[in-house]
Amino acid sequence: MSRFTCKDPVVLDLWHAIASADEAVDGAISTTVLLEDPVAFTRSETGDPVVWTYPARTEPELPADPADHLPVLERYGYVWTSFGTPPPDLFPIPEYGEKDRRNIHAATFGVNVSAPRAIENFLDMGHFPYVHTDILGAEPHTEVREYEVEISEERDEIVATNCKFFQPMAAAASSGGTDVDYIYRVPHPYCSVLYKSSPLDESRFDVIAVFVQPVDQEHVRAHMMLTLLDETSEDTAIRLFQQTIFGQDKPILENQYPKRLPLDPRAETPIRADKSAIAYRRWLTKKGITYGVIPAAA
Amino acid sequence: MTTDMHSHWYPIASSSDLPKRHVYQAKLLGREFAVWRADDGYVNVWENRCLHRGVRLSIGINDGKELKCQYHGWRYANRTAGCTYIPAHPADAPARTICNHRYPTQEVHGLVWAGETASGELPDMEGFDEVTVLRPVPVNAPRELVAQELRHYVFAEGCTSREEADGSVIVTAAGGPSVRLFVQPCDSNHSVIRGLLDQASEGAERVAILKHHNWLLEELRSRIEAAAASMETPEPMVVTIAKVSEDLVDIPPASEDGRQAELRVQVTEKAMTAEGIVSLRLEALKGPLPTFQPGAHIDVHLQNGLVRQYSLTNGPGETDHYTIGVKREPDSRGGSVAIHDGVAKGDVLAISAPRNNFPLRRDATHTVFVAGGIGVTPLLSMARTLNSQGLGFEFHYFVQSGAHVAFNQAFGEMGDAVTIHEGLSPGETGDTLRDVLKSPGRARHVYICGPGPMLEATRQIAADAGWADEAIHFEYFKNTTERDDSSSFEIDLARSAMTLTVPSGKTILDVLREAGINMSSSCEQGACGTCRCGVIEGEILHQDVYLSPKEKAEGKSIMTCVSRAASDRLILDI
Amino acid sequence: MIRLYDYELSGNCYKLRLLMSFLGVEYESELVDFYPGNRHKSEAFRKINPLGQLPVIDDDGLVLRDAQAILVYLASKYDGSGKWYPRDNPDLLGQVSQWLAFADAITATASAARLHDALFYTHIDVGACRAGAHRLFRILDEHLFFAEEAGQDWICPGDHPTIADIACFPYIILSEEGGISRMDYPAIRRWCDRFKRIPGFTVMSGVFPAGPAADEDSKLAS
Repeated sequence: MSRFTCKDPVVLDLWHAIASADEAVDGAISTTVLLEDPVAFTRSETGDPVVWTYPARTEPELPADPADHLPVLERYGYVWTSFGTPPPDLFPIPEYGEKDRRNIHAATFGVNVSAPRAIENFLDMGHFPYVHTDILGAEPHTEVREYEVEISEERDEIVATNCKFFQPMAAAASSGGTDVDYIYRVPHPYCSVLYKSSPLDESRFDVIAVFVQPVDQEHVRAHMMLTLLDETSEDTAIRLFQQTIFGQDKPILENQYPKRLPLDPRAETPIRADKSAIAYRRWLTKKGITYGVIPAAA
Repeated sequence: MTTDMHSHWYPIASSSDLPKRHVYQAKLLGREFAVWRADDGYVNVWENRCLHRGVRLSIGINDGKELKCQYHGWRYANRTAGCTYIPAHPADAPARTICNHRYPTQEVHGLVWAGETASGELPDMEGFDEVTVLRPVPVNAPRELVAQELRHYVFAEGCTSREEADGSVIVTAAGGPSVRLFVQPCDSNHSVIRGLLDQASEGAERVAILKHHNWLLEELRSRIEAAAASMETPEPMVVTIAKVSEDLVDIPPASEDGRQAELRVQVTEKAMTAEGIVSLRLEALKGPLPTFQPGAHIDVHLQNGLVRQYSLTNGPGETDHYTIGVKREPDSRGGSVAIHDGVAKGDVLAISAPRNNFPLRRDATHTVFVAGGIGVTPLLSMARTLNSQGLGFEFHYFVQSGAHVAFNQAFGEMGDAVTIHEGLSPGETGDTLRDVLKSPGRARHVYICGPGPMLEATRQIAADAGWADEAIHFEYFKNTTERDDSSSFEIDLARSAMTLTVPSGKTILDVLREAGINMSSSCEQGACGTCRCGVIEGEILHQDVYLSPKEKAEGKSIMTCVSRAASDRLILDI
Repeated sequence: MIRLYDYELSGNCYKLRLLMSFLGVEYESELVDFYPGNRHKSEAFRKINPLGQLPVIDDDGLVLRDAQAILVYLASKYDGSGKWYPRDNPDLLGQVSQWLAFADAITATASAARLHDALFYTHIDVGACRAGAHRLFRILDEHLFFAEEAGQDWICPGDHPTIADIACFPYIILSEEGGISRMDYPAIRRWCDRFKRIPGFTVMSGVFPAGPAADEDSKLAS
């Protein structure tokens, strides 16, 4: 029997982002909560992050025995850990390593919702005119055109391609709006990566990723990472723009009921625009995930 | 929790809590409601949850006619709670089964009453004909505790209290007024005290009364909450959310209800709205009417056995009746004459539920309507919808003379957007249309309905002016093309794994029905689009007027009531 | 031009954006990386505001901090009608000041709970903040109920909103982000709808616009 509160074996074996890399500092111990259990982290003298669990309502101390440390990775600007036996490495985001890009940690926000609800919202285009009005969409241009969704067997991830949405102010220089191309990936039950055509180079994409840390089944910390081709905008402007967008999604997510994602096909009403969400729900069902969802009755 | 509690009526709001264009949030026995008053005064009590993604509708927008979800702009109609529009798919008509859950409600004695499965009579309110509704006081305590303490409510000298059969408490002052106090059980540890004083009041006296009781009830609340705080907090109530209908699990398919007259309606008004055009107001004999969308039509089953299609002219939110317009056509097959001469106010008619094969896109920056004569009816409903949402449109209505303008009042509400063109010759009509349609563009759409020749001409003018096929929307009243049913051929039903032969003299629709396949239909002359069916393989002899030239050329759909195979075999997607 | 040291998700900054939008006053936003950058505690910013807090304005050299103080200043200087801050009416002025102090109490409770839940201000006693906010909301709901009874739409008497409405609005409308439901406060919920229909109203992240008013109740519509 696992010593952890969460009993979902699939979720225990996942890597989970718990903090931005710059929060892990040598000589200081920080804390957070993962899957309902308190977790502490710091950075060792050798520069590597160290993560461990500690009893609730106590002061965390770095365990001397490395056997008491949790698995750890530092990827994409975040510290990742796992309560089980995680895969050797995380899903790839090759763009993160490209020399001419800027990688920015936009923010970590606490949201009162389950991780799968947050991911599903991230995959959704239909809400742009209503939730991100005059930024990512505007009425009456509300149509979600046909796009393709597939589950890559090789990488075990969902990929939605050929997604297009009309944006009124996609770029400062554009007049009358333009179609923006998107590609969405779901390479991890609680993580998603979106590719959006770059205003600077049509052949390349800006990348926005959300890594959702399940605090419990109905609370998350959403870590937002950008890797952009933009050379001119200041980090602050980019960060705050992304925070504005996420801040608009937040009250929607917190007003979803039930907070856990229902996997029963008859719990909610999908439309063609929700192809990626339908694939996501089926993928979670197939994986047997139970944490943060309401499983379909057998 | 006994199910019995769910069958009671509870007050969940004061009438004054529901001003127009507001959405009130309530909770009863653990279940949340979105409560809103439409501009016509009707109070809707719905599950506080959009069917699409579960977002609370109490953060949505009440536009007076419909409630719009904040997440994806889905619209739900006043009264019926049926979804009328899904903006992500502007060209589609939402399936009729997308309907939010409504709860029984009544508005009387200055209170709005509801219950999950409430039925039967409200509590007996003898002595409370004239009332002052007290300010509701929410309490963080269980219902039982609140109800028990209410018996000790004292608001004047010599108060006595008694409990009524419904659990409410009547407190009467010596020789004075009475107050009746109800408890709305919101959740296991959360209640609202709602009170009625048995006399009307106004002005300074009313404020004094309200303040007096408010103060006393808040003092009482402090005592109740102190008592509740010393008790163990009960677990919140658990509610089950009804599942959506089976046919919505994936992408909603077309409804399969044949040509049924499932509704009985009464003609509550019959009036001449223009020369030769009668308007009928139809109201349900029992229960609510199904949700309609602009562009929808109903089948009317006439006493003489004929079945005719008429478009609804209703605006959004007008959900307590359907209005249709019928032009007298002496030369036709007798449907219109039967209505003009044979149907009277008070008569009961059998009709189908509304079907929408002429959906209105609401993602246009500008919409042009071109109506000829009685073709105005579906376009009127569409224009009223755009007008209500503040979306840009212009409406061109071609009539023989001013006396032929139907539904004048509805047009009056649209102001400058409407232009009536009276008594133009075909040449003048053509010139006018060339002018009206001279500017196609992105997100501009044109909708045409009228007599065949005018419709043909308008479509041609629009095409010549550069309007894309997808931007030209039209609906014929009838199919006047010469139809040939002499061929015979085979049809393979891909999903049913059947092969059938269609002999000369029979339609595909006839043969499907004989084989026991339930296929919807309505006009059965290739005009309305209801019996549309997907074609996987084979060449089609199109004989309908519903599909656009592009759709016909693509060969992916067939109107099974009139069209046939041009090859030996068709593979249908059924 | 007025410079506003601004952070989109700050309700206190939003108060000033609202008033300047209502008054049609032009300004430029100097975006401060409040989170996660913590730039309001930086040396450079503490030279502007030693308290290390947002918002701050710089109006042609006059540097002011504190949202309520800035509301008083902007309304006094830029509202020719004198309606937003009725400085010639002592009775009303007293009431406006009373509710400005109340707004500070809302900030100390409802805003603090939101910072705890969304931005991990874990040192905050969130339970106490939520309870405190509910106590304040009960008082305001009762006040607004009786204001409606008297035919009044706003926190202070009169046919026009004041800066007291502006000062109270942001952290009430954002309260759910701190786990504070407004279901028990129907009069507050109606007032929020009226507030959103003031001509010139703008949203911030987390706030949705209201739909159009019914014709007969759009008193403020021009």
